[in-house]
Amino acid sequence: MKRSASENFGQILIVLLLALLCVSVLYPFIYMLAISLNVGSDAAKGGVYLWPRHFTWDNFNVVLGNAVIRHAFGITVIRTLVGTASGLLITLLAAFGLSYRSLPLRGTLLGYVLITMLFNGGLIPFYIQLHQLHLLNSFWVYIVPTAFSAWNMFVMMKFIIGIPEALIESAELDGASPLRILWSVIVPLSKPMLAAIGLFTGVMHWNDWFAGAFYVSDQNLIPVQTFLQQLLSAQDLASVLGSNNNVEALVRGTVLTNITLMSIKMATVMVSAIPILCVYPFLQRYFVKGVLIGSVKG
Amino acid sequence: MLARVAKYRWQYMMIAPAVILLFLFSYMPMAGIQVAFKDFHIGYTIWNSPWVGLENFSFLQDDQFWVVVKNTLWIAILKFVFGFPAPIALALMINELRHSGFKRFVQSVSYLPHFFSWIVVAYILQSMLTLDGGLVNNFIKDLGGEPIFFLGSTEWFRPMVVASGLWKEVGWNTILYLAAITTIDPQQYEAARVEGAGRWAQMRHITFPGILPTVSIVLILSMPGLIAVGMDQIYPLMNPANQPVADVLDTYVLRNGLQQGYFGVATAIGLLSSVISLLLVLITNQTARKINGEGLW
Repeated sequence: MKRSASENFGQILIVLLLALLCVSVLYPFIYMLAISLNVGSDAAKGGVYLWPRHFTWDNFNVVLGNAVIRHAFGITVIRTLVGTASGLLITLLAAFGLSYRSLPLRGTLLGYVLITMLFNGGLIPFYIQLHQLHLLNSFWVYIVPTAFSAWNMFVMMKFIIGIPEALIESAELDGASPLRILWSVIVPLSKPMLAAIGLFTGVMHWNDWFAGAFYVSDQNLIPVQTFLQQLLSAQDLASVLGSNNNVEALVRGTVLTNITLMSIKMATVMVSAIPILCVYPFLQRYFVKGVLIGSVKG
Repeated sequence: MLARVAKYRWQYMMIAPAVILLFLFSYMPMAGIQVAFKDFHIGYTIWNSPWVGLENFSFLQDDQFWVVVKNTLWIAILKFVFGFPAPIALALMINELRHSGFKRFVQSVSYLPHFFSWIVVAYILQSMLTLDGGLVNNFIKDLGGEPIFFLGSTEWFRPMVVASGLWKEVGWNTILYLAAITTIDPQQYEAARVEGAGRWAQMRHITFPGILPTVSIVLILSMPGLIAVGMDQIYPLMNPANQPVADVLDTYVLRNGLQQGYFGVATAIGLLSSVISLLLVLITNQTARKINGEGLW
């Protein structure tokens, strides 16, 4: 088909604008990676834009060798795994139970869930409740309060209701209990939906810094995002590295003169960002589907 | 009735954990709103602390509070003015791309920042803008200019928040619009082409009207969050130098409540902002009903 000159010009303009957008998204990561792989004192002179000028693993060695940072990563990984698994389980159980249209009191129960999506008590009453339940300063503050998500429940329920009832009825005729039906009929058919919701839940846990900053005061319980939040305003390396023997040994060597606060910060951020960058391409087909399942009106 | 309930005992057992969790973490905090009218200290419960009437609402006479309200409104309005139309424009542009490989690439890349935390965003801003060794200031110095203290500046704070918010979410927010575009009947475009309509005319008269219902739903759904301007985003960027413009209702509640222990006052402020949010939802829903003939409920 013939296109007019103005349409071709428009197409070029759009391509340029969108290419610029892609660069603005990707460039900061390239820059931070370059800085984190460059000798800190050298990077501080400026001029490192795309790739390291004076390559070194020192920054990553210090970050990965530091017990405080390693511990924070451990907390993040455990809370992401436990939080995603328990969140999916509890939400899916409720969604399946509520998908039975003939369930007595179903409307009341749905209303009970819906109200929590429209109103909430706010931060302070929530905090007081965490205090009353002795969840403050405990690992479980990351898991228990977010184990049920009303929003995800409605998405799951809508998906389950869309599964042909004949499949469930034939399993019932075979004498399967509801739990059995959930496990061997519903779950296999809901994999894309579970993958999408699992992905969102996992990302939420991986990225949450707030709970670690305000509901926990024990440094041994903070996840890596809270560690990064504390590090953001750090003024010197000592506060970052703590008094860890391994690091002291490293720092006492030649490394001390070469690493800077900025190079360590960039290495830590990259370590927290790289897992997301790695899984992102594989999970992409699930999350678009996930957003769309959840968004259909009604 | 009892027999029917017994028949569904498995289903009730499956729903029970959710009901208990909602009671503990949603309904109990709602009951805790009474703290706004009480003198609460750690050690009391929400039930046995003494009533103090409206004493906790004395923040309404505090000048600092009104500065915080002004800051919140500024950021809310700026974020809305830039953040609401941007994904619509981006979706329309992505839809115009002819090369499908590049189209998929743009989508993948633009969704990416949504998956990083606001802390990572704060680090990106720091690495770009800091005085000692930030990319932008190095660049300014190379050009012979005076470095700018972006991170601790009251003028640059709002643009920084709006721009970084756009950077993180604009791509993600196109998903709904792009999905709406795919549901438009292709015959409409064909008919338009037969009548000689160019790409621009097709976008204006078919694509854009086609996504308008989605636009209005997104508009309504964004209202309750309007004055919740994003503590996750703002708190990491706030420092003593930019606090005069950076302090918003959420950070004010956080400081008064969790950091200084004025639980009653902080709850009262939180209550006030929830009420405003609720009013915004109701007003928008009414307006949408008048314009579209239907609201969300």
